Amino acid sequence: MTLYAVILIAVLVAMLMTLIRALLGPSLFDRVLAVNSLGTKTVLLIAATGFLMGRPEFLDIALAYALINFIGTVAILKFFELPDPGTSHYSEDDY
Amino acid sequence: MTDFLLAVVSWPLAIVGIVFLVSGAVGLVRLPDLYTRLHSASVTDTGATLVLGFVLILQALVVFGSFMAAIKLLMIVVFTLLTAPTASHVLAKTALLTGQVPVDGQGKPLLESSEAATRLARSRVDATDAEDA
Amino acid sequence: METLVVCVLLSFLVISAIGIIVLRDLLAAVILLGIYSLIAAGAFIVMDAVDVAFTEAAVGAGISTILYLGTLRLTTDRQKPRGHDSLVALLFVVISGGLLIYGTLDMPFYGSADSPAHTHPEVGARYVEQSPDEVGPPNMVTSVLASYRGYDTLGEVVVVFSAGVAVLGILGLRRRRPVDDAQVIDKADT
Repeated sequence: MTLYAVILIAVLVAMLMTLIRALLGPSLFDRVLAVNSLGTKTVLLIAATGFLMGRPEFLDIALAYALINFIGTVAILKFFELPDPGTSHYSEDDY
Repeated sequence: MTDFLLAVVSWPLAIVGIVFLVSGAVGLVRLPDLYTRLHSASVTDTGATLVLGFVLILQALVVFGSFMAAIKLLMIVVFTLLTAPTASHVLAKTALLTGQVPVDGQGKPLLESSEAATRLARSRVDATDAEDA
Repeated sequence: METLVVCVLLSFLVISAIGIIVLRDLLAAVILLGIYSLIAAGAFIVMDAVDVAFTEAAVGAGISTILYLGTLRLTTDRQKPRGHDSLVALLFVVISGGLLIYGTLDMPFYGSADSPAHTHPEVGARYVEQSPDEVGPPNMVTSVLASYRGYDTLGEVVVVFSAGVAVLGILGLRRRRPVDDAQVIDKADT
């Protein structure tokens, strides 16, 4: 029990620091980075909470979170990169 | 006996994981520019998830006796190990492409302009090769 | 321990909400809204409302962020300069907020077992005892949503569907222009 509590507190502290970066973050990319990092920490938070409550079934939600987190980050970045809405790909020369 | 062994294995691993977690978060707040912060965030994303995931897998197997929970945790860890570096790479490349210039410890820019950053992002060579040429 | 975690998460929510209000850059505010949803979903999970948390994560952090970003792309990401702050508006907000808080005082405590929803013989108790026979699915929440409160769910689905149609009507489903495709294919060939 103590183990899960210690992990939970550490995750909460890390989440607070990530939140600070999201609030300060001079560029938009800093904020996106903070969202992505916060998502990973939320996955850990959910997993540790499930163990603390003695119900590891919460892991399904944590797994789905990891998926949503990745897809959301890539989608947001795709938005920053595209020159205007509606065009959905860039050519081979861009690499 | 099992409890003791489990504690001996779990606690040091958990502390290592927490060190990864908190040091990555401290770096996220304190490091000077986006690219260095990206590096410290990926310490949390991969290192902490890997180690803490391993601790939780051990706990799931020994304390809860739930094989399914261990498999789900393993899936989470593997998935995070695949996606976190990809997300970091996409983030760094997009930032470079839109002209974010990396800086060194003193806040001096490492590239002369944001156009140079965009050019670097579009080229296949890395920075040192570009300087040599 | 769980109470502590919920309190910390709720204070994170307050911090990010203040950040959303203070920031002038709308793109940054949208990203902070995503963070707000993530933290809210974490709090829901700790409070044992897993299905709500799941919806919050998928809709709040996923879809609505994308919708906001699309809207900002089509319009602008600059906030209009605010005029003078109105005292009447502040008074109105304080009064209505105070009334809402006063309204919550009558509600049963969080997790209380003797709340009306749990003790009413035709609601909670009946669902728990008879839903396997009357409806069938092993998950009770599913049988409540799909059968006992079926009309309610139907109404919700209609609302969500019409909202989706309206959003698509406003944003528009733009077709990819065939000219661009031809150019890309040409470049790939040469």
